Amino acid sequence: MRLHRVRWERIRRWGAFLAFTAPALALISLLIVLPAMQTVALSFTDKRGAFVGLRNFIEVLSDSDTLNLTGFPPGPPPWGSLVHNAVWIPLHLPLTVGLGLILAVLLERARGATFLKSVIFLGMVTPMIVGGVIIRFLFDENAGVVTAIMRAVGLTALGRSWTAYPETALPALILGSVWLWAGFSMILYSAGLATIPRDYYEAAAVDGAGPLQQFWYITVPSLRPVTMVIVAMTILWELKIFDIVYTATLGGPGGATMVLALQMYFYAFRALEFPRAAAVATMLSLFTLIVGLWFVRTLRSSE
Amino acid sequence: MDQFLPVLKAAEEKLGVKIQYRIYRAEDLSQVLPPQFEAKQAPGDVIFMWEWWVRENKDHAVDLTDLWQKEANQFVLQPTTVDGRVYAVPYVLWVKPGFWYKKSFFQKHNLQPPTTWEEFLALLDKISAIPGIKKAIITGDGVGWPVGDIVEHFLITFGGPELQQNLIAGKVRFTDPQVRSIFAERLVPLLGKYFSDPVEWTQAIDLWWNEEYGLFFMGNWLTGMVKDPNDLGVFTLPGARGVVGGTDWAFIPKYSENVEAAKQLIAFMISKEGMEVRAKQGGKLASRKDISPDVYPPADRALAEALAKVEQPTVPDLDDAVGGDWQRLFWDQMKLLWVRPQALDSVLRQLDAKFPTK
Amino acid sequence: MRRWGRELLINALAWGIGLAWIVPFLGILMSALRPQSELIHGWWQFSSFTISLDNFVKAWNHPTAPMSQGICNSLLVVIPSTILPLFIGAMAAYAMLRFPFPLRDPLFLVIVLLMAIPQQMVAVPLFRFLRDLGLINHYAGLILVHTAWALPWVTLFLRNYFSTLPREIEEAASLDGASRFQIFTRIVLPLSLPGLASAAALQLTWAWNDFFMALILIYDPEKLVATQRIPLLRGQYHIDWGVLTAASILTMSVPILVFALLQRYYIRGLIGWTLK
Repeated sequence: MRLHRVRWERIRRWGAFLAFTAPALALISLLIVLPAMQTVALSFTDKRGAFVGLRNFIEVLSDSDTLNLTGFPPGPPPWGSLVHNAVWIPLHLPLTVGLGLILAVLLERARGATFLKSVIFLGMVTPMIVGGVIIRFLFDENAGVVTAIMRAVGLTALGRSWTAYPETALPALILGSVWLWAGFSMILYSAGLATIPRDYYEAAAVDGAGPLQQFWYITVPSLRPVTMVIVAMTILWELKIFDIVYTATLGGPGGATMVLALQMYFYAFRALEFPRAAAVATMLSLFTLIVGLWFVRTLRSSE
Repeated sequence: MDQFLPVLKAAEEKLGVKIQYRIYRAEDLSQVLPPQFEAKQAPGDVIFMWEWWVRENKDHAVDLTDLWQKEANQFVLQPTTVDGRVYAVPYVLWVKPGFWYKKSFFQKHNLQPPTTWEEFLALLDKISAIPGIKKAIITGDGVGWPVGDIVEHFLITFGGPELQQNLIAGKVRFTDPQVRSIFAERLVPLLGKYFSDPVEWTQAIDLWWNEEYGLFFMGNWLTGMVKDPNDLGVFTLPGARGVVGGTDWAFIPKYSENVEAAKQLIAFMISKEGMEVRAKQGGKLASRKDISPDVYPPADRALAEALAKVEQPTVPDLDDAVGGDWQRLFWDQMKLLWVRPQALDSVLRQLDAKFPTK
Repeated sequence: MRRWGRELLINALAWGIGLAWIVPFLGILMSALRPQSELIHGWWQFSSFTISLDNFVKAWNHPTAPMSQGICNSLLVVIPSTILPLFIGAMAAYAMLRFPFPLRDPLFLVIVLLMAIPQQMVAVPLFRFLRDLGLINHYAGLILVHTAWALPWVTLFLRNYFSTLPREIEEAASLDGASRFQIFTRIVLPLSLPGLASAAALQLTWAWNDFFMALILIYDPEKLVATQRIPLLRGQYHIDWGVLTAASILTMSVPILVFALLQRYYIRGLIGWTLK
C-alpha cells in the first residue's frame, strides 16, 4: 500500500512539472531548437548538401575577415571579427552593468524618477535601424555632439568623424551601444532593488553603517541573481551585435568594425554561402556555451 | 518616388488595372525574396533588382523574351539574358557623369570647367583657396557606393571603358601595374588634399550647396534633390570616354498571381509613351534612343546634351556588375583608402583576394 | 542637514546623467522638427530656427507606408507577444526553481544556450516550417515566433527573480493546503510584480522593435508593422531624414509610454510588507 502511494505521488509531481513547463518546451523546441539544429547541420555541408566535415569552419577561421592578428596590438583595427567581438566585451560589459546599477540606485531616490528612467530607457525603445544612424551622427564631424565637444576641448584628432576612421570606428560603436543598452540593466536592477526588504537597511543604519557601506554589503550581494542575468544577457547581446553595426558602418571602414553576426549575414545574404554562414552561427553559439556553462555553474554554487 | 508615380498613374489609366507601389531597399529584398521564392510566393508582380541578382535567380523569373523583342532595337542597353532568354528588362537610366558644381558659385569666383588634367588640378587649387571653403571636393558616403563611384570614374577616364570591363570580367587584377598607377598617380595624391572625409551623402548635398565645398561627385538623380536644379553644372574628368551608367532591372517572379497584367505593365513602362512620362519628371534618363532631349526638364536636358559627347554613357558599374559580397568589400576598402591613402597596396591586394572566382 | 545635502547630490547626479543621456535623442527630435539644412552643423545651431510638424503628418499619412496603420499593426502583434511568453515563461521558471526534477539543470542550461542563436540564421528553416503550417503572413505565426524567442530569457530572468522571494510564504501556504498552481497564481505572481513589469516592458519593447522576423514573415502592405515601414519611407536614392526621424519618434512613443505606465509596479518593499 505504501509503495503505491509513493509512486502515485511521484507521478503527480512529474505531471505537475510537465504541466508547468510543457507550453514553453513545446514552443522552444519547434521554433528555436529545430531550426537551430538544421543550421548546425548545414554548417557541416557544402552548398550542394554533401558532408564536408570541418571544412567550413577552417575556411572561416583562416579568413582574414575573422582573424587578422598582423597588427594587433598596438596597430589599429581591422583585427578580425572574432577579435572585435572579444574586445567589445571587456569594454562594454563593465560600463553597461555598472552604469545600470548606479542609475537604478540613484533613480530610486531622485525626484522625477519616472521621467528620468524613461529617458534612460529611450535607448532600448530606439529601433535599431535608427540606433545605428544615431551613432553615426553622434560621432559625425559636422553634425555630431561628441566631435563638437572634442574640438571644444582641444582634442581635434577626435573631432573627425569617428566612423570614418578605423581607429575610432569600433570605440564609437561600443560607446553608442552602451548608451542603447544601459537602460536594460537599469530596469532589471530597479526590479531587483524592490525585493530587498527595507529592514535590512534600517538594521544596518542602526549598526552605524554609512550609505556606501550599505550599498556594498547589502545592495550588491542581494542583487547577485539579477546581476548574473544582466551579465549573461549583455554578453550575449555583445556577441550577437548586428543592427547598429549594419546601419552605422556596415562593418567598415576596411572591416574595422566587422563582427561575427554581421559576417554571418554577409556570407548568407550577400555571398549566398549558406554553409559558411551556418558555420559562423555555430561558432557563435559555441561561445555562448561557455557563457552558459559559467552561468549555470555560478548559479549552482550560490544556492 | 514622386517621379515614378505619374508613370504608374498613366499605366493604371491605360491598362485599366490598379497598381500598388512599394519601396523596399534592394538589400532587404535580397533577404526577403529567397525564402519567399522557396515557398513559391512573391511580394510583388513586377520587381526591380540588381542585374547580377536576377541572373543568379533566373529560375524564379518569367521569360520576357517576346516582350523584349518587340522593342529591342530602340534601346541603348541590353537586357539580362541567360542562354538567350530574357529575364529582366532595363528601365530608365541613371548615370554618374562626374563632378557637379553650382553655376552661380563658379560665376562668382570666375571658375571654368576644366578641359585638361592640368586645368583640373589648377581648378582644385583655386577652389581650395577660396575663403569659407573647407576642401575642394566633398566626398559623399552612405553604405559606400558614392566613394566607389569616384574611383570608377578615375579608372574609366585613365584606363578607358575597356579597363572597367576587364576588371569586371576578372581579366585584369587590381594589383596590375596599370591599375595601380591610376590609383597611385591620379587619385591618391588628391585624397588628403582636395577630398573631404566621407560624409553621409544627403548631408553632403547640403554642405556643398552651402558653398563649404566646391565640387561634388554624384549621379544624375542629384537634379531632383537640390533647391535650384537650373543652377547645376557638371563636368566629367577631362578625357573621359565613358561614364558609368545603368538602369534598374525589372523582372516578374514566376509566383506572381498576375503575370499577364505584369507583362502589360512592363510593356507600357518601356514603350515610348510610358518612358516619356517618366522622362518628363526628370532625375533619370530614358534608355530608349527615340526620346528627344526636349522632353526633359532643363537640368536633365543639359546633362543629356553633355553626355552626347561621351562615347559610352552606359559603362557598367563595377561593384554592381561583380556583385555579391565583393561589392560591399569594394565600398568598404575604398572608404578605408580615403582616410588611409598609404594603405593602397593592401587595399588592392584585398580586392584581388576576395574577387569572386567564376 | 547631511541628509539634505545627500538628497541634493543624488538629484544633481541623476538629473545630470539624465540630461546627458537625452542628448542623442534631441538630435532625432530636431531632425524631425526642423529642416535638414539648418542642422548640417549640429542641431544645437539656433541661428535659424524653424519648427514644423509637417514631417510627423507626412509620416503618419504616408501614401505607401502610413505609420498610423503601422502602429496599430504593431500593437496587434506585440501585446499577445508579451503576455504569452510572460505567463508561459513564469510557469516554466517556477517549475525550474521549485520542483526537484532530475534533468532540471541541464534543461535549464539548454534554455540559456538558446538565447545565443542569432535570428538571421534560423530565418530560412523557420520560414519553411511556418509555411508548412500555413502561418506565413499571419500575425499568429509572428506572435508564436516572438513568444518562442522570448521564452529563454524570460524564463531565465524570472527564475532568478523568483529565487529572491522568501520561501516561507509559499511553504506556509502549502501547509495550509494550497495546490502548486494556487501558490503560483495567488502568491508568487503578485509578489513578483516588479519583476514581471520589467520583463513586460523589455519584451514589449523588443517585440515592438523587431524588424527582421517581421521582414521575413509578413509582407502584405496593409499588415506591415511600424518598424517595417520606416525603411520604406526612404526613396530609392533620396533619404528624407526629417520624415524618417519623425516616423521613428512615432514608433518609439508607444514602448516609452508603456514603460512609463509600468513604472508604478516597482513598489519597493512589497516583500517586507507581506512578510509582516
